[in-house]
This record gives sequence, C-alpha cells and structure tokens, in this order.
Amino acid sequence: MIGPEYAAALDPFTREAKELVRKSPPLDKMPQKITDLAVERVKWRSGRDMVVNFDIEAVRADIFSFYLTCQAIAAVSYPYSRESRLVSDATRETIKYRMYDLFKRGYEELCLEVVQRSFKFLQLERDDGAKLGNVEIPREDYFRLRDRRLAEDGVEIVDDRVLVQYIPKYAVRWTDLALLLKHRRVELTKLYLVNGWAVITPRELWDLFAGFISVKTEEYIASVYERFSDTGAPSKLLTDIGERIVSLLPPEIGLRERFARVPPGRLRPEFFPPCVKKALAGVGSGARNYAVTVLLTSFLSYARVSPSGRAVSRMADFIGDISVVRNEIAPLIFESAERCNPPLFKDQPQEKANIFYHLGFGMVLEPRLEDSGKSKWYRTPNCNKIAIATPALCDPDEFCKKIKNPLTYYYRQLAEHSRLRAGD
Amino acid sequence: MQLREATPEERLQFYKEEWNKRDLPDFILHTLSLREFGFDLDGTGPSHRYNQFMTVEQLADFLRNKAPYAAYASVALYEQPSMRKGWLKSELVFDVDAKDLPLKSCSCVGGAVCEQCLNEARQVAIQFAETMRSDLDLHNINFVFSGRGFHIRVTDESVMAFEQAERAQLVEYITGCVIPTDVTITLGYSRVFRGRVARTFERLDEQRLLQVHGMRNALAQQLVKERERVLTAIRAGRLSDLENYNGMGPKTFRNLLEFFIRLNSEFTDGKVTIDTKRILRLPSSLHSGVSMKCMLVRDMERFSIEEAAPKFVRERMQ
Repeated sequence: MIGPEYAAALDPFTREAKELVRKSPPLDKMPQKITDLAVERVKWRSGRDMVVNFDIEAVRADIFSFYLTCQAIAAVSYPYSRESRLVSDATRETIKYRMYDLFKRGYEELCLEVVQRSFKFLQLERDDGAKLGNVEIPREDYFRLRDRRLAEDGVEIVDDRVLVQYIPKYAVRWTDLALLLKHRRVELTKLYLVNGWAVITPRELWDLFAGFISVKTEEYIASVYERFSDTGAPSKLLTDIGERIVSLLPPEIGLRERFARVPPGRLRPEFFPPCVKKALAGVGSGARNYAVTVLLTSFLSYARVSPSGRAVSRMADFIGDISVVRNEIAPLIFESAERCNPPLFKDQPQEKANIFYHLGFGMVLEPRLEDSGKSKWYRTPNCNKIAIATPALCDPDEFCKKIKNPLTYYYRQLAEHSRLRAGD
Repeated sequence: MQLREATPEERLQFYKEEWNKRDLPDFILHTLSLREFGFDLDGTGPSHRYNQFMTVEQLADFLRNKAPYAAYASVALYEQPSMRKGWLKSELVFDVDAKDLPLKSCSCVGGAVCEQCLNEARQVAIQFAETMRSDLDLHNINFVFSGRGFHIRVTDESVMAFEQAERAQLVEYITGCVIPTDVTITLGYSRVFRGRVARTFERLDEQRLLQVHGMRNALAQQLVKERERVLTAIRAGRLSDLENYNGMGPKTFRNLLEFFIRLNSEFTDGKVTIDTKRILRLPSSLHSGVSMKCMLVRDMERFSIEEAAPKFVRERMQ
C-alpha cells in the first residue's frame, strides 16, 4: 500500500513533503543516519541507492536529508555555484531514476498524479491519430520525434521495452515549462509545439519533471542563502555537512576550479560580465547607486578575495592585509563612481562610507582589518535581481546564458581560459 | 504620402482637436494607473519619465496642455509606476520596424520609411502573430502601428509573467533564428524555421548572397536564377538539395544557413522583447517624427497607412 506522502519522494516541494518537514526534529536532534544521508545522496550513482521504499520512514529520511543537503550547501556556498549545481544535478538524476523505476514497475499513474500538480498534460491517443485542438499530428512526425530522441541519446539498437520510452505519448502545456525555459534547461525551439501543447515521450516527461525539480532545488538553495545573508551565520551542523559535501566534488572539477581561482589576487577585467563592465564605465543617475554600491562593491571584493566554497562572513578571514581593500578594491569602485553622470559622490558623499559598510567594515571612511565583520559583507546579486533593479546594466552576451550570477560568469571565464591555456 | 516632422503648432492642433481617449486600446485603458508614462516634450528624447495617471482624464489634460513630441507607456504594470517599483507583469512585445528590416524591396535609407517597406513590416508582423496563435496558443494579440512599423503586443496572462530568459527563447522561436535538429518535421518549430528561411531567401538578391562567406559568383547567380526550385526545397524541408549545387561545399552550406538565421533574427529588435520595463509609443499619440498617429490596428490584412494620417496631414495633402 502506497501512502499519499510518497509523492514527496518524487517532488520534495509538494504539500506532503512540507508537512513532513514541519514535523521534523530540530537540527541539533537530527539523527546521525539522516545527516550522513544528506552527504551520501549527492554521490549516489546506482539506482538502488536512489529508490525510496514505500514505507513512511523511508520517505521521511529522504525528505529530511534532502532539505539538510540544500541548507548545508547554502551555508557554505552561493547560489548557482558549482556546489549548488552538484546538489541540483544529483537531485535531477535521482528523480529521473525514480520516475523510470516506477514506470517500469507499473506505477505510471502514481508518477502522472505527481507530475500533473506542476504540468497540465494530456495522454495522446495514437491509434486513431492524436489531435491537439483542431490539428492532427502527422504519423510521420511521431517517427521523426522518436528517431530524433534516439539519436540524441545515442541509442542504436532498441528492444520493445526501451522503444516505448521514445514514442510520443503525452503533451504538456508549454507555458508550464516556464521555469525550465527561464533557466534554459529546455529550449523552446527543440519542443514540438502544436496549439500550445508540447508533444513529448515518456523519457522526455521524466527529463522535464526531474529538470523542473532540479531548478526548484537551485531556487530553494538561493532562497536559503538569502535568508542566511539576512539573519547571520548558519548553524555549525549545516556548515559541517556543507564542508563534507564540498569535499565530494569530483577531483577534475576541483582541479579546474583551483586553476581558475588561484591566486586570489589580480583581477582580470577582460573576463568581467557585461553588467560589471558597464558599471565600471560609469552609468547615469537612475542606476548609479545600484551599479556602484550594490553590484561593483560586492562583485569586485568577492572576485578579488575569491572566498567561494567556504562559509563566508568576514573579509578578514580571507585577507591578511587591509591594503587589499584600500589600495585595490576601493579605488576601482571609487573611480567608477566618479565616472557616473553625475558623479556619485558629488551629490551623495555618504555613499563612500556606505561602500565600506557593504564590504563589512561598518560605516567608516578609513577601514581597518579589525573592523571587518562590523556589518554584513554583501554578496553579489543574482542576474535576475540585477535585471529587475537596473535593466540598463543587463545587456547579456552569449556566455550570460550559461550563468545566473555575475561571479559565476567571472569564475567560469577564468576556468575556460585556464583550460585553453593548459591545452596550448 | 510625405512623412515629414510635425511642427509644434501641428502637435497642439492634434492633441486639442483630434486626440480622443476612445482611441486608447482597452489593454491600456484598463491598466492605465498601473503603467509608467514617459514623454519626449520637445524632440530631444523621452527624458520625462516616472509619470503615473490615475484616470484617463488626467492623461488627456496632460496631452492637451503639453502637446508632447512623443508619448510612451510602459509594457510593464507596477504597484508603484511612478517609482517603477513592484513589477507585476509585462506584455510580450515584438517590434517590427520598417526602417530596420534586413531585407526590403524599396530604396529607403537611414531612418526613412515608405509605404512599401511599411507593408513589408506588416507582412512580417502577420507571420509572427500566426505562429503565436498556431504553435503557442496565444490569442490576445494586439497590433499597433507605431508610425515607422508595427508593435505586436500580447496580453495573454500565460506569458505576461515571463522574465527576460523566457522572452529571449520566444524571440528565437518566432524569428526562426536557430537551426532545428530535424528540419523535415512537419509541424512545430521546424515548420516555423522553413517558413522564415523561405521568406528570407525570397527577398535575397545576388549581391546579398555574395555576403555569405565562401559564396562564389556563379553559385549566387544560379541560386537566384533557380529561386523557385530552391524555395520549393526549403519549404519541403529538403535543405540538403541546396548542398547539391555546384560550388556549394559543406562549409559554404553551413555559412549560408548561418546567414539565413542572422537575417531572420533581424526582422525584429530582440532587445525590445526581452526588456520587461520598456516604454513603448502610446497608441493614440502622435509620432511627430513622421506626422503619423500611433494607433491600434484592428484589421492587419486591410490596414493602410492612410488610416494613420492625422487631420493636419490630410489637410496638408489637400
């Protein structure tokens, strides 16, 4: 007998999951088994590990550990970082396998019941020709869609059991895929759209739904990160679990990241994202405060000091000399403020102290290392926030499509450059 | 029809005698107090921003008193339009400007437009809207003649909450600026792509074809000479037929496809679509640069720019 709470094993954001979380033990009373599972789940490779038994205890353990993993990553990293991506990718693979497994075992209806809470969908009737609205789907398109998907997956020889996963069977409303479109996990031009419906195969249904949960996971991590930014340092248990997860990052990625990040020092303006370049060049009156005090101050300080992957609260934990702030970071910010039209400090001289406040030194004009931590060291806003706050700054290039935070743009550009140089 | 700049007196005459609140489309009238209004008072640019009107009478008073060079309203609805804060949602907009069409059969240059290129912009707007209806099931599609082209303003709730990234994907889909993985699929994006490439090729001459990297004179001449055959192949999804032409190696073929998608993308200004805080020319207002009314178009098939001529222009012609 499968209880209704099993929906949580497929979608950890369902009301059933939230109800379980509401009744979870406090963090300091969380069983060791759960905290270990929070670390283990990001390295699951085998389907046997991913599958959740139909009993309530198994579902509870799965949900508690999922939320612990997300909160732990938010405690030690920043949104859309490689660490967050590690968790969201693992979640996607887990959900996809669970869907596949349930379909295989004859629980298709259970999966569809959970899916339809997020996506409006239809089951296509093939024998007498499926119609979407007034349009009949040509039979040859079924085969072309099947073959395209087989080719994409690199599948050449298929038996009947596998083949059925590649034959169009459902249609979902394309507008329900907005979250996936927003994060470019789905490309509109790759969907087969008729009358507002995207025709998909069972395999695509698993992919889309797992991708959807993966994006929601990333957004959840971002929301927890913001909560920690507002309320102060997260608990030690979370940072400990977070550090354990970070240590699991595949070595080749770790190597690439080290290549990119070290030495935390010389800034490479050629790899800055377009919004930062615009802000550095000076902006007009409507965008000045945001461009200088919010974006440049956080971006340049984090890019220069490069503290990612560890719990970050004070700059003094990462630098030993205040000259980094006074002689390297602050002059760049101040020069950009002067380039604004009108110059920012001309009519708002108090913004100078506000910049040091945003760097975590409190409202001072001459920061000292020991002042570090007097205020919050503000983190770099995500792209969507920048686009909403100051659309004039956001002029995305091709690379911007791959990232969601200006810092990630910078780190990835550095990483790619290092990789290319290593290739030379 | 001569499209010349309106004088301050003509602007005043237009707003005092001709402008009517009934010419405001419902989709603006019903959300008037949630929109930011911007004005170009003297022809130097829309620098008078952050205006909010609680009633249409307030807007009417402003227009009659100031007779602005240009009037704009935001595509976005805000909780506090006068501060541009509390973004609620935005129309989905496509801007098809006749002066910026990448291919046109007239000889307009610079910022000039004529009836011929305006008509070509109208056809492009009709195609875009057809795809939105058939593939995306969008139905609240409004056409606005902007004075130099057309704005397509979509107010379906299902897309108004979209942010920049989703809108950018819509630009790709509607313009056909991505090469599909299988161009032969009968419906969906493959059909859109074939249609857009065919439209682009239809208007290409030899000179433009020679801009394709690796394209030789003889091949360009042959493609133009056999235009109908090429168009049939494109429409049937047999793009590989083009590879069989003498002198069309795989690289040139690839360059040709990339040339097509670049031109396809230029039929609309994608920046307008993805900007959720854009201000657009207010339907019912005067486009003083060309002395034309910016107006809602109810029947795109039969629209003629003479409908957009204000009284002072008609008098001028007499």
